[in-house]
Amino acid sequence: MTSAHTLPPRVTDEKRGRKLLGGIALPVGILALLIAGSVLSEQFLTARNLTNVLINMSIVGIIVVGMTFVFIVRGLADLSVPAMVAIGALLALGLQPALGSLPAAMFGVAAASCAGLINGLLIGYARLNPVITTLATGTIVLGVAQAAVGGVIVYGDSPGLQSFLTGRLLGVPVIVLIFLAVALGGHLLLSRTTFGRWVYATGANPDATKASAVPLRFTKGAAFWMTATLSGFSGVLLGLTLQTARPGVGTGYEFDAITAVVVGGVSLLGGFGNMPRALGGLLLVTLLSNIMVLNGIATESQGLVMGALIAAAVALDVYLRRRGGAS
Amino acid sequence: MNALKKICESPAVLTLIHYRVVVILVVAVILSASLVPGLTEFRTLSLSLDRAATLGLVAVGLTVVLLLGKLDLSVGSILALSGIAAIGLQPQLGQLGAAAFGVCVGLLAGVLNGVLVVLMQINSLVATLASMIFLRAMCHFVTESNPISGADPLFGLAVSRSLGGTFSLRTFIFLIAIVLLFLWLTYTVAGRHVYAVGSNEDAATASGVRSGRYIFGAFVFSGLMAGTAGVMQSLATNTGSPVFGSTVTLTAIAAVVIGGTRLEGGRGSALGTLGGVLVLAAITTALEYESVPSYYQNIVTGSILLLLILLDRIASNSPRSALSLSSLLPVRSKEQSPAR
Repeated sequence: MTSAHTLPPRVTDEKRGRKLLGGIALPVGILALLIAGSVLSEQFLTARNLTNVLINMSIVGIIVVGMTFVFIVRGLADLSVPAMVAIGALLALGLQPALGSLPAAMFGVAAASCAGLINGLLIGYARLNPVITTLATGTIVLGVAQAAVGGVIVYGDSPGLQSFLTGRLLGVPVIVLIFLAVALGGHLLLSRTTFGRWVYATGANPDATKASAVPLRFTKGAAFWMTATLSGFSGVLLGLTLQTARPGVGTGYEFDAITAVVVGGVSLLGGFGNMPRALGGLLLVTLLSNIMVLNGIATESQGLVMGALIAAAVALDVYLRRRGGAS
Repeated sequence: MNALKKICESPAVLTLIHYRVVVILVVAVILSASLVPGLTEFRTLSLSLDRAATLGLVAVGLTVVLLLGKLDLSVGSILALSGIAAIGLQPQLGQLGAAAFGVCVGLLAGVLNGVLVVLMQINSLVATLASMIFLRAMCHFVTESNPISGADPLFGLAVSRSLGGTFSLRTFIFLIAIVLLFLWLTYTVAGRHVYAVGSNEDAATASGVRSGRYIFGAFVFSGLMAGTAGVMQSLATNTGSPVFGSTVTLTAIAAVVIGGTRLEGGRGSALGTLGGVLVLAAITTALEYESVPSYYQNIVTGSILLLLILLDRIASNSPRSALSLSSLLPVRSKEQSPAR
């Protein structure tokens, strides 16, 4: 139990080769991309481009931190992310005239957090199917957010926060620092706390976990609450940096986050994975996308590669643990 | 809470919950008929049905997938891609040939999903997410992100024009598909096996049902239906667009779930899906007539969906209700059997 996060029970010693493959596939992939990128384009390995990659990672990365918890707790996926991003962005900008920019931003996060609480109660305590529940709450929340601002594009009017977020602190973009802080917090919560142990235990074997008096419902609900809150936070950051928000602003973020987590090798079957893996997956996906952009491949067509990448990553994951009895 | 449970477990309430689709449908139709004058006229009804037919066909395919406890997120992308094929290949294959090819594209996409889920053992949520992203990118790739239109707009009119003053062609296809699916699921051995696999895949396999084949077949069927829907929609509008069907997946899942099919699999029916589609069609018609913004419609749909799955959980899946006296009543046993 205590070593649940270092030694997944499904991998036994005789499959050391497979375990090794699962461990090194991601770093090798990232390294290969770095080499391929610098060969294909001379702009790739410049400080400016790599900073851009980091900034692009940050907004999705904050959501990835939450989604990792959902995956490990065997909650399948949170599909309400776009709505939470949208409500965060819309409220943070729409309420600026009334509340001032910082309270409006906090209100945006709080609104997403409340919606996440509903998600958590319904999925954790009422034990509803996570996919359909987050689909429904996402639809409702997005509708409410649109009704609140009249379904139009909202513009921000206080450039103060924007210049702070897009500025740099000690040479690092502030938004990247925020992302790194959230990622570090998530990593410590998952690997160093009792709650983190509960998350692994809940995902690995719900029945045994319940018998061990772990608050199963709380753990599962908390994972969804965290994801919604982080998505709202991410939406606020997105809205403040862009200074505009429309209801569709969060579209696709749920799939981006799921792609990153899946490519990182965090298992959809629950109980396995960690934060560095998920963020490694995110780095790989962002680098790949960056290389394609630099080589003139349209964003819309990049899905041809991304779709294949997701399928390949999960197929590898399934292959590596198929004989562990978790099909 | 106990009192609430008792009320929920009474036979009358259970019957109501069992036939909730009918209840919701009646309420939705009465509400929209009171808001929209002339809704009950045949011509209006036929038009509303025609608009719901695309959603309906997609929902028919999804019903089988959901009955098996799987999920198909890729139907929206399949719809767009087969529509693009049906319009874009008209110069090469002729109008009918291109339409047939469009349906084949849907079929092939379904086979792709089947390979990912059954042969490669990928969870259906992630597998169809991958194919959704892949196929959507394919749409953008072949059209260079621009909508394309066909040469002869009159050819596609046959799809949406009412036949002899009754329903349009695509409405007929939708209704026939529903009836055939209902008969297949209810009266054939293979149809019963779908429920068996959906309830417990391992137990079904152990009893000699080839679970993998049924799941594979369900994805192929879902792709075929989405392809047919895409071809019809593109023919009716004489356009193939890479952004078609981006919201249809969620709406179709909502229709199927409102119709009483459970996402965990094993329970549901084709007629329920018909009810779910009609409910959404009635709500859409009423709210559009009142020119209510579409986001209020999303709130209504989402709330109905949430309320239904919550009711379903309270009424039929608490361990206590399985042990209670009411489980011995005929209504109760009917609720538990997959027969519906």
